[in-house]
Amino acid sequence: MTQAEIKLCSLLLQEHFGEIVEKIGVHLIRTGSQPLRVIAHDTGTSLDQVKKALCVLIQHNLVIYQVHKRGVVEYEAQCSRVLRILRYPRYIYTAKTLYNDTGELIVEELLLNGKMTMSAVVKKVADRLTETMEDGKTMDYAEVANTFVRLADTHFVQRCPLVPAAENSDAGPPPPAPTLVINEKDMYLVPKLSLIGKGKRRRSSEEDATGEPKAKRPKHTPDNKEPIPDDGIYWQANLDRFHQHFRDQAIVSAVANRMDQTSSEIVRTMLRVSEITTPSSAPFTQPLSSNEIVRSLPVGYNISKQVLDQYLTLLADDPLEFVGKSGDSGGGMYVINLHKVLGSLATATLESVVQERFGSRCARIFRLVLQKKHLEQKQVEDFAMIPAKEAKDMLYKMLSENFISLQEIPKTPDHAPSRTFYLYTVNILSAARMLLHRCYKSIANLIERRQFETKENKRLLEKSQRVEAIIASMQATGAEEAQLQEIEEMITAPERQQLETLKRNVNKLDASEIQVDETIFLLESYIESTVKR
Amino acid sequence: MASRGGGRGRGRGQLTFNMEAVGIGKGDALPPPTLQPSPLFPPLEFRPVPLPSGEEGEYVLALKQELRGAMRQLPYFIRPAVPKRDVERYSDKYQMSGPIDNAIDWNPDWRRLPRELKIRVRKLQKERTTILLPRRPPKTTEDKEETIQKLETLEKKEEEVTSEEDEEKEEEEEKEEEEEEEYDEEEHEEETDYIMSYFDNGEDFGGDSDDNMDEAIY
Repeated sequence: MTQAEIKLCSLLLQEHFGEIVEKIGVHLIRTGSQPLRVIAHDTGTSLDQVKKALCVLIQHNLVIYQVHKRGVVEYEAQCSRVLRILRYPRYIYTAKTLYNDTGELIVEELLLNGKMTMSAVVKKVADRLTETMEDGKTMDYAEVANTFVRLADTHFVQRCPLVPAAENSDAGPPPPAPTLVINEKDMYLVPKLSLIGKGKRRRSSEEDATGEPKAKRPKHTPDNKEPIPDDGIYWQANLDRFHQHFRDQAIVSAVANRMDQTSSEIVRTMLRVSEITTPSSAPFTQPLSSNEIVRSLPVGYNISKQVLDQYLTLLADDPLEFVGKSGDSGGGMYVINLHKVLGSLATATLESVVQERFGSRCARIFRLVLQKKHLEQKQVEDFAMIPAKEAKDMLYKMLSENFISLQEIPKTPDHAPSRTFYLYTVNILSAARMLLHRCYKSIANLIERRQFETKENKRLLEKSQRVEAIIASMQATGAEEAQLQEIEEMITAPERQQLETLKRNVNKLDASEIQVDETIFLLESYIESTVKR
Repeated sequence: MASRGGGRGRGRGQLTFNMEAVGIGKGDALPPPTLQPSPLFPPLEFRPVPLPSGEEGEYVLALKQELRGAMRQLPYFIRPAVPKRDVERYSDKYQMSGPIDNAIDWNPDWRRLPRELKIRVRKLQKERTTILLPRRPPKTTEDKEETIQKLETLEKKEEEVTSEEDEEKEEEEEKEEEEEEEYDEEEHEEETDYIMSYFDNGEDFGGDSDDNMDEAIY
């Protein structure tokens, strides 16, 4: 784990889980797998705090544990999973676009709580939806359960590994920690639950008419007494499937940008059909015959078979090689080259970064070197048609930032520098890794700056919150306009302006974080695709 | 540039490689040497591209800020223990400083976690009694008879209504042996004329969670 990643993890954990969890989490990321007592000793926190922090981290799938010999349990943190916290809003928004508010809330609850049983999720989501509905209407559990089942069918949520059923009681003392197992086939199996009920509103406005003190009301609502039917079956959000969806979105929009709407629809159809059949790390999708594609096109698209064939041929002949032809049966078998697509997207990202950072002439040189693979200094000047001095300057600028690298080709065995060719080249993988590292650093900087801005104006923020609370309570008790006006004036105009500026800045910083995270996703997908090969 | 450093010994200005090959012609002015680390905020040559705006961007932004605020309120956000103040104050009795240090606010499924992570929470009940002790007559046993008798006597004296609440509560706690503290502060603790939530020593007024706020939390 690089220092930049560790720093970013530390900031994320601190913001979302507090300092204690952050200390433990970062320690585990730095040092790898460790048992409980060593963690407590090395970090200098009390054993109880460590236990609490570990419970939280395990609940959120950020730390896993393993039983080693002699009954020692070791805990290991997953740095990459911590970095996913940045992407939570994107996951939730995707669920919203696909499955409306219900899906959005389900995914949000699962992400906020790490893992939950289906019944717990359904109940909570129904309650939340009921809050937002008009008075008198409630959300039925069945509807929420339906959406849950659909999410499970499309693999967006999956079961967590289960505790194996304790069959034999003669195994002596129980193991210090359960070994969780999961069967591939069962991962998306929804338990048969008959969830009957409706969402409840919070009883904020319903007081007991008799004035009976609330203490006398039975402490447990009847729900708690019933055994939970799906006890032990926990669900979590399947982040890989979301990543697959983002990747598909990126591919479709790339095709739409490069060609036209219809070809992007064709590619989208191809991706949709091979969603479940293709594993997420495959280099290309399962071959699809053009007949199948015609059948699966969305209803609105009435293009004839011939036109479709022409489009497919065009796509397959494109130099970017998004779509490839793998056979002729069934009217032509076509695949989408996923790894190639990721490579093109990463390259496009690099080009765009060079352009925005160094200018369009630098970008021209960069694209030139990309295309020609290896070029000498003189050749660069000639091909790019840029005067020697400027070309040299730009090349060195890019070289110093590691977008371009030098390749030495010795003429003589003693590698004498005067008798060696020095060629400029772009190594996409290493440039992508470098850029990814920079992205991590940028987000860490953005988060720090945002925290700094908030801390600077802490006093003002608290004051404005107080004023709003006062106004809200006064409005609830029915105060006059004049009084409200007076309270509002407690915040002076320059202070208001300061607040406005602060809000604008914080929004900008947040939006930048989201944007950088998208770049991180592309680069990480690309790097991952090269590693698996 | 290892060659440049190596050439220093032999003769100044002599390099082992051909400068023209790298692109520095004879007599060209070299850039000035760097004597200090690069500035913290170097001036930008080109303005950055504007951020994506529009419905989607705004929605995701609002989601992000809400999420941040929401996660701070969840029980998973562990706050470090409030440091003990030097002198015991009167208001301490009326303030709940959060969960007693060693308990967790939420209930994980203990079957899924290693056994060593489970925190024994018997302390909870003991601590509870110490807090309540000053206000109550000696602890009663779980004997229902006694409790009922006591209830009757207590009913006559209005001041003692509080103890009844506490005893009932304690009984419930001991019977169920649960680790949760569903501690409804305002109703259960003391049924004095002063309802708990109205007591406020002004220290953290306004910093609480928001029921009605639609704004994002920073």
